[in-house]
Amino acid sequence: MINKFLGFEPDKSKLPSATAKIGADLDLSSHKYQKIWLGPNHPGVTGNMAIELTVEGNTVVNAKTHVGYLHRGFEKLIERRLYVQGFPTSIRMCVAEPDTNEYLIATCTEQLSGYDKAVPEMAKWLRMLSLEMARLQGLLRGVPGQGGTFALGLGVQWGVYLRDLILDRFEELTGARVYHMYIIPGGVRGLLPDGFKERMEDNLMDIDDFIIRIRKLMFHNSVFKTRAKGLARITPEMVDKYGIVGTNARGCGVKRDVRKDEPYLHYDKLDFDPPTDSDGDIYARTWVRWQELIQTVDLIRQIMAKMPAKGDIKAQMPNVLHWQIPKGETYVRLESGRGEYGMYYVTDGTDKPRRVNLRGPSYTHAIALLEDLLVGADVADVHAIMVSLQTCPPEIER
Amino acid sequence: MPFTAWSKIVKDPVTIKDPLNREAAPRYRGFHDNDVDECIGCGTCEAICENEAIDLVPVDGIETKDGDSGLRPKIDYGRCCWCALCVDICTTNSLRLTNEYTWVDTDPDNFRFVPGVDEKDWYEKEDGWRKPVPNYHFYGQERVEMEELPAEARGDSFIEFVKGYSKDQAQQEADRCVECGICIGTCPAHMGIPEYIKTIRNDDMEEGLKILYDTNPLPEICGRICTHKCEDVCSVGINGDPLSIRWLKRYIADQVPSEQYHEILDTQKIFKGDTKIAILGSGPAGLSTAYYLSLLGHNVTIFEKLEKAGGMMRYGIPEYRLPYDQIDKDVDYILSLGVEIKYNTDVDAKMFKKLESDFDAVFISTGLHAGRSTRIPGSDHKHVFQSIDLLRQITAGEEIMVPEKVVIIGGGNVAMDITRSMARLQKIKYGKVQTLATSLESEEEMPADREEVVEAREEGAIIDPGWGPKEIEIVDGKIKGLHVVKVLSVFDEDHRFNPKFDEDNKKFFDADMVVESIGQAPDLSYISDELKEKLELGPRGRYLLNEYNQTSVEWLFAGGDIVVGPDVIHGIADGHKAAVGIDNFLHNKKK
Amino acid sequence: MNEILDKIKQKYSAEDVKVQRTGLAFVTVNKDVALDAVTWLRDYEGYSHFVMMSCVDWIEDGKFQLLYLLHNPVTKTDVGVKTLINRDNPAMTSGHHLWKQVWTYQRELKEAFGIDFPGSPRVDENFVVEGWVDIPHMRRDFNTKEYSEETYFPRPGRETHDPATYMREQLYPNQPVTAKRKDNDK
Repeated sequence: MINKFLGFEPDKSKLPSATAKIGADLDLSSHKYQKIWLGPNHPGVTGNMAIELTVEGNTVVNAKTHVGYLHRGFEKLIERRLYVQGFPTSIRMCVAEPDTNEYLIATCTEQLSGYDKAVPEMAKWLRMLSLEMARLQGLLRGVPGQGGTFALGLGVQWGVYLRDLILDRFEELTGARVYHMYIIPGGVRGLLPDGFKERMEDNLMDIDDFIIRIRKLMFHNSVFKTRAKGLARITPEMVDKYGIVGTNARGCGVKRDVRKDEPYLHYDKLDFDPPTDSDGDIYARTWVRWQELIQTVDLIRQIMAKMPAKGDIKAQMPNVLHWQIPKGETYVRLESGRGEYGMYYVTDGTDKPRRVNLRGPSYTHAIALLEDLLVGADVADVHAIMVSLQTCPPEIER
Repeated sequence: MPFTAWSKIVKDPVTIKDPLNREAAPRYRGFHDNDVDECIGCGTCEAICENEAIDLVPVDGIETKDGDSGLRPKIDYGRCCWCALCVDICTTNSLRLTNEYTWVDTDPDNFRFVPGVDEKDWYEKEDGWRKPVPNYHFYGQERVEMEELPAEARGDSFIEFVKGYSKDQAQQEADRCVECGICIGTCPAHMGIPEYIKTIRNDDMEEGLKILYDTNPLPEICGRICTHKCEDVCSVGINGDPLSIRWLKRYIADQVPSEQYHEILDTQKIFKGDTKIAILGSGPAGLSTAYYLSLLGHNVTIFEKLEKAGGMMRYGIPEYRLPYDQIDKDVDYILSLGVEIKYNTDVDAKMFKKLESDFDAVFISTGLHAGRSTRIPGSDHKHVFQSIDLLRQITAGEEIMVPEKVVIIGGGNVAMDITRSMARLQKIKYGKVQTLATSLESEEEMPADREEVVEAREEGAIIDPGWGPKEIEIVDGKIKGLHVVKVLSVFDEDHRFNPKFDEDNKKFFDADMVVESIGQAPDLSYISDELKEKLELGPRGRYLLNEYNQTSVEWLFAGGDIVVGPDVIHGIADGHKAAVGIDNFLHNKKK
Repeated sequence: MNEILDKIKQKYSAEDVKVQRTGLAFVTVNKDVALDAVTWLRDYEGYSHFVMMSCVDWIEDGKFQLLYLLHNPVTKTDVGVKTLINRDNPAMTSGHHLWKQVWTYQRELKEAFGIDFPGSPRVDENFVVEGWVDIPHMRRDFNTKEYSEETYFPRPGRETHDPATYMREQLYPNQPVTAKRKDNDK
């Protein structure tokens, strides 16, 4: 139909789009490009996540992250449960380091109900121990895992064995191997078993040995060096632009670590300095993580040496069945192996939370950042880039 | 590739040799086990389970009884996440997780099972998750202490010495409740205990008062002197102090001024029909019947022998435990519902016959007001008294004999009441206490509430249990004291009263006056022989009652201490039942 | 910290200023100036790290509460800028130009709460629940339990008993446990 004011029918497709575009505008009908779906079930993808790649030859020209394969609505489920019932659900929001979720739920509820001062000393040290053990087992998988993305599978096998030893210690301390359910609002659920420290020290010595071997295996390896150097470079300017945290930020020289910046628990009583590197590429990030492996082993030793011999493990709290928290909101963060990991927690005066919202580092690392870093990369490097950002899909979609 | 890659080629493999039989850590959270004999089926495990994996189901061979619901948790392993919150909250510590973690089965229904009942091969494993130690609790273990006047301050007066909870204290105590409801079954009136405790947590006293009056029209009184059988079965009390259910009830009643009762309970105007019911005795049973009958629209007339209402609550229980103004608060509210009361009216057989024709139904609750005597030599002396008479005289404000040395025979609550009353009177008169109570039962067997014994001792009285009275020695017409012999046992193998004495082990208690307090008997002389013949007798020579406390003479109902007890709460329950029974009876009669 | 809060109060007439703990404060500003405040905090006050964006459903007030949580890496402090928007046809100015990850949050909020951010990239694409037809799943009135009972098939054969009710049935079925009343107007 002819527009009576203009006298002609405008071609609406020629008008500028009202919606800003993310990524390139590509003419797929030109036969120049090809779409490749990486995932959701792919051995190179961490967890269940899909990357929709548009490639030109071997080069990625556009990438889109698709999540939703793991959505279980945990935030909603926690909203419908008592405060004490939140932590067994929350751990599944991040499989790699489940303890971080327990800690956040516990700390949020304690802060909002005013019991944060009542948490016993012993419990604080044990919380720190379990958090560092979680970081250690994550790094034992993560550092050699980066080599795995360049077909260096041996380090992964070594690392997974040692991770299993740490899981044995978790089993002793918490009663479970992966989903520990150890940190509870008010404290923790058990003291160190007899002989724990000695067995832990044995494992740490094995890990010391592993750390040296993996350095030779990966960082002295020309294949790894050639492929990882200069790949997927993050610049310091990008850090705030994309909300990059943790080792990804430290890899390009931005020294941010919640443990140092806003010390929680007793991290201010430990002697450590977060490692950094300046290049910001995959090699630098992995190198920072390797140094962090050394540091985590050292932190566990420090914690075991400094923690008190005995003490209460849980504060006196109201009856968990009627526990009500006054209206309030808070945000609590901690430094997980992947960076700042936080929780926004809102209460409304009832016995159940109003809103629980998790801030996982992968939320930005694996979507906004990954989609941009992949552009121009080689198809063979895609999972190396993804793994180097420590992507963890369950914390994106919860 | 660096040569490091080859560095482990001659090392032994690190894999577990026998992965199928790897023992889990001692703290591992594996499959459930439940000590069903310890478990009371309180259902806190079901309440805390975040996955709704636990159901409470009846189990063969486990009976429902006082303090045990007869139910046991059944766990659905299709939903369980092995978080062990059920173990951590378990009130009896009967539930645990073993460290067994492998179970292969082809039938999915097997994965719903009752731990400890259904045969499983991991029950003998000692290791596994148990409630963590130390000081790891999901609810308060310690009772909020009730403030009391110290013995020095209360020993010389009859003012109430239990102060009552403040709001903070009451809420803190109410917070400990796990709302299992096991106590409801044990309370004779089956009060909605968890519900009214909940109103304290929510600070909704109006709702609380309504719940109290649903089953108990004497909350101020029961909140002070109830025998609180509920607290004996409280699931929180199994590993900790039981909830102070009695004091919490008192807290609710204390918060509401009597002027607001009519509005809160919606009784400004109540319907009255043309039926007339006579009640004999204004004790707890009589008052409770009168209250519920009034709500049901009946005209009630109470006949009271003494000059004030309350029966044993007023004339038996001393003022320091139950102040008279609190009795008045409860009683006046009941009377304000249009209940007519005739004081100083002793109903005899002749008058009782007239009641039969004047009223549609009669409820008798005349209580136990006749003291029983030991009948030992010397017990007919004029300075040997019945405790129940003395207590009545104290209440009525009459002068009673207060000598320097008093011996009380009896170990029940009434004996403690007179002991503590005499101690107070002695303290007022002489400035010192020389009251001694002795009982057949040993310290552990004494029927009196433990706190009564403890408090009596605090106030200076001597309690010396385990002695059988033999003779009251009288010299020159004056009492010198009481001869007693050691009791070996009070009950025989069949739990019948049959005391055995060690005649060689003797003792002598100095006394100027002896009070007997070994029980009371009813006085049913108003029931004519003609009527007695019509009344069927049940076991143990008592009149046979149906479930609504109706005798075999259909217009005659009975309740209170002459039927059960003796205590207040049984009387209240009787009254409620009888009121419903009378209402049904009159309703059917009209048709 | 207090200095910043005073400034926000003056500049954007912030209400409901609450310091939750040392280094964390929440302020509520009007919807129209919320993004201005966020931009100002980013560009002038050093709150350069965008921590997260979140939404709370205050269904009883008919409002959604949006939160922009910002972190200052130098002073190590956090400011949460909150704003209330109507629950009916909720919409908010898009902030995708401020930080690269903001559009992801806005896309999630569109799906989870139904809040529109006109102009935000890919805002209409499904985020985690592809093919969702029910009301937005994070709203308070979406009943997860009901949904799961309708959608999935619980295996039959489960029954439970309330201890108090069960004991009553077993031990004292005839005892009256509530006061019966005759109607007043009969």
